[in-house]
Amino acid sequence: MTELNQIDLQTLATGNKRAWDVFVGAAAPLINAVVRRTLSSYRLGEDDVLDAAQDVFVRLCAQDFRLLKTYDPARAGLGTWLAVVARSAAVDHVRRRRQATQALDDVPESFLAVEDRHVEKLKIPQGLLTARQTLILKCLYDEERDVAEVARLLKIDAQTVRSTHHKALLRLRAHFGEEAP
Amino acid sequence: MSTERTPRTDKELWQSLAAERGVPFGAVSDLDLASWLEGRLPEVAVARIEAAVAADPELRRAALDLAEILGAPVPAAPGRMTVRAQALIGFEAARPALRGGWLDRLFPSGPRHAFQRAAMVAMSIVVAGVGFVVGGGLGQSFAQQTYNGEVSGTATVSTSNELTDYFAGDEI
Repeated sequence: MTELNQIDLQTLATGNKRAWDVFVGAAAPLINAVVRRTLSSYRLGEDDVLDAAQDVFVRLCAQDFRLLKTYDPARAGLGTWLAVVARSAAVDHVRRRRQATQALDDVPESFLAVEDRHVEKLKIPQGLLTARQTLILKCLYDEERDVAEVARLLKIDAQTVRSTHHKALLRLRAHFGEEAP
Repeated sequence: MSTERTPRTDKELWQSLAAERGVPFGAVSDLDLASWLEGRLPEVAVARIEAAVAADPELRRAALDLAEILGAPVPAAPGRMTVRAQALIGFEAARPALRGGWLDRLFPSGPRHAFQRAAMVAMSIVVAGVGFVVGGGLGQSFAQQTYNGEVSGTATVSTSNELTDYFAGDEI
């Protein structure tokens, strides 16, 4: 099977049927994986996965391949860009489905949860933490991801994630006068 | 009773704080996000994307999910998904050709269709010619028209004479 990085994008953008078929064969596994993952928390069925994946392909070829023509190989790999586009299309598909009627029992609890706004939180002053430190703390504590996942996201090793986390907490404790446990 | 506070864990401390949202980061384009996920962005742009991802839970979840999917082999797609997607271009490509209307389809333009156009014109001339000959041609058409005119004129004169005789008989 042809790899995504072997796709002739110029021929594909002319609407060549053969090039499109090869592209679909190469892109479908990745688009399927992204759409399936995105829809997994919404308890949607197989038909929705197929429809959302079809939405991705429709987006790519609509209006004379307008979206596909915006892709720049110098900035990102085709697979990564397709994954981002697929995720975005899948989220839009879910939003459209949720606008239609949906039983309350089918809505994941996380979407029904209401943040307790009665608890006054101390604000972290701007500039106290770097963007990367904030992102690491949010991934670890708000998203409850492990160090390995955060390291993979930021393309750094796990030890760097731990040390960045440690430095961020030292700064926070120093600023708010908190002792370490 | 001790009034000393038990030191909070890192997680407890973080959850008691609210990160400042700061200035709006602007929209993160698909290409920017893809580039950042691959670690290809320059240092200045990285900080902007990381701040945007940190501030937007939806974007953060997307980034974490995508990093996981892209870091592992993916299973094959269902056959139905591939077939449906491949069918998109068959129909899309056919549409522009049909857009020109029936006349364009009958006389397609372009050098490849020159022979087809010439054959259509020649065939039209032959059909028109045969039809004209079978119909008797220009001479017969003129003769028929002249004959019809004469017959019509005779009938009018004859009717007029009969009326004159009728009124003359009644001495009117």
